[in-house]
Amino acid sequence: MFEITRYESERRVLASGALAVGLALMAAMFLAIAPDIISQVDLEAYAEALPPAFSNAFDIAAMGTVEGFLATELYQFGWVILLGLYLAYSAAGLIAGDVERDRMDLLLANPVSRRRVVVEKFLSLLLPILVVNVVVGAVVYAGAALVGEPLAPVDVVAVHALSVPYLLTCAAIGLLLSVLARRESVAQRGAAGVVFGLFMLETLLTGTDYEPLARLSPTWYYDPMAILVESSYDLVGAALLLVAAAALVALSARRFTRMDVR
Amino acid sequence: MPAIETGKLTKYYGDTLGVEDLSLTVESGEVFGFLGPNGAGKTTTIRTLLGLQAPTSGTARVLGHDVTDERELIEARKRIGYLPSDPGFDDSVTGRRLLDYYASLRGDTRSEELLERFTPPLDRKVGEYSRGNRQMLAIVLAFMHDPDLVVMDEPTSGLDPLKQEQFLAFLESERERGKTLFFSSHILGEVQKVCDRVGIVRDGRLVELEDVRTLLDRSGKVVRVRVAGTPTLGAFDGPDVHDLQVSGTAESDGGSEDTGDYGDHDDHGDQDGATDTTAFSFTYTGGFGPLLRRLLEFDVQDLTVEDAPLEDVFMRFYGASGDAPAEISGDASTTGTPADATATTGGDRTRGGGAADTGGDA
Repeated sequence: MFEITRYESERRVLASGALAVGLALMAAMFLAIAPDIISQVDLEAYAEALPPAFSNAFDIAAMGTVEGFLATELYQFGWVILLGLYLAYSAAGLIAGDVERDRMDLLLANPVSRRRVVVEKFLSLLLPILVVNVVVGAVVYAGAALVGEPLAPVDVVAVHALSVPYLLTCAAIGLLLSVLARRESVAQRGAAGVVFGLFMLETLLTGTDYEPLARLSPTWYYDPMAILVESSYDLVGAALLLVAAAALVALSARRFTRMDVR
Repeated sequence: MPAIETGKLTKYYGDTLGVEDLSLTVESGEVFGFLGPNGAGKTTTIRTLLGLQAPTSGTARVLGHDVTDERELIEARKRIGYLPSDPGFDDSVTGRRLLDYYASLRGDTRSEELLERFTPPLDRKVGEYSRGNRQMLAIVLAFMHDPDLVVMDEPTSGLDPLKQEQFLAFLESERERGKTLFFSSHILGEVQKVCDRVGIVRDGRLVELEDVRTLLDRSGKVVRVRVAGTPTLGAFDGPDVHDLQVSGTAESDGGSEDTGDYGDHDDHGDQDGATDTTAFSFTYTGGFGPLLRRLLEFDVQDLTVEDAPLEDVFMRFYGASGDAPAEISGDASTTGTPADATATTGGDRTRGGGAADTGGDA
């Protein structure tokens, strides 16, 4: 078991490392400038100058603390949007890419079930998710202490740990598109589009009469701001995300088991 | 238990026909050649046999397992090797990593031995491989777990001629080890060399299923004979003679009037007496006795009798429905031959005749 996951993960080592380094640098930069920004810029005035939807999306007013600043700049942007899109995009290539380049034929000539192929390939995405979270989590915690604005360790752990179900859900959306679209590029663009669209849906509908619709978006269930600023952890939301991810993977496996590979 | 058994196997892609009503049985230990031009349905059949796609209707069993039942299929795959025509690999990994990966999924009992025959540069990334090296890697992967049945889709494509020969010799030795080999091809020479039996598929349907020997017997012999004097074409004509042609003479003074194709019943083909020997070529499907008796009537200077190349046999299956390759009609017109000269045999022709044709039309 897990030979496919092992092989696929190995192929992601380099990309995962690069991603972790990039995001760690971004985190370090934000931490370096955070104290200055907080003391010099009148963020409340800045927030009032922006359209309500935008200031709502990035919770500008809460940026007055290091926690709020990191939640907005690093986690809201780097995790919710950037990593979410990256995982959806990567997952979208898992099946469609192999089918399109005739690699799936060779893989399926082995005594493996299609369900196993789908599940194990999906699990290989745990590597970038875990590497990035561990590396950047450590950098954020150490960096904050270094600039004299120490963070609560539990909050740092929580903001990273609770991002895992969110990122798995984004990946599962990509996976589903990977078994639905015939071409890899279509699946990838589609997956990125869906994940970003869901983010926009939540951003635009939150606080309106259509707020229940916003709950369709995975971003609804992962709120770095609440975790870091209020130490409020949405464990039910995380559980729901895991269930949704599992359901999407199961649906993808079912679809892949029944489709023609050509 | 047959290695492969299909019953009225049909596969449509939407409205497009892949294969239709394909029924064939490949016995265990047999080398089966699956012939047909590109687009005839060979790959569709292979992909259906491997369970990569579900049949629209009909049945298919490999090594006794139903290919539409995934659990059975997985059981079968433990003993099946698959060699595609253009194998898809991850370009970013080395050949050795792929070998290890596949070993972990299907087992490895003989890759070391195979790597003595087939030598892809394992420590280089697959993306840097030549076409031939990719194919060699695929060969090792297909045979490394010592499967009982190996399904190959145009396996020699991409191999240089020397490696092709090596590969065919390897298949020969696998046959002797009792393995069942099923391979598609449009190269008839290789099929002729290694196959016990062939199926010819065309437009998604199996048009012929024969052992190679019968096919060759039925297709007859190519006879090339050079005799003294200038006998007419009628001298060799007969019910078992097809595609009769007279070709160049050895000591012609003019050299321009001595080419020509003649119809089977064309009796006015006298040459002008300037030549001393005349060469004839034809495909002969009768017994040897009558042929030899006929030949003895002449002063035979040179004679070759050989199996008709499978290419010609193949042509007959294609020519049968009237879509004979264009070059044949082209030959006829350039030499001013009566239209029925070659049409009677459905378009198959010998190379000897073709070579003569060029003399008058350069």
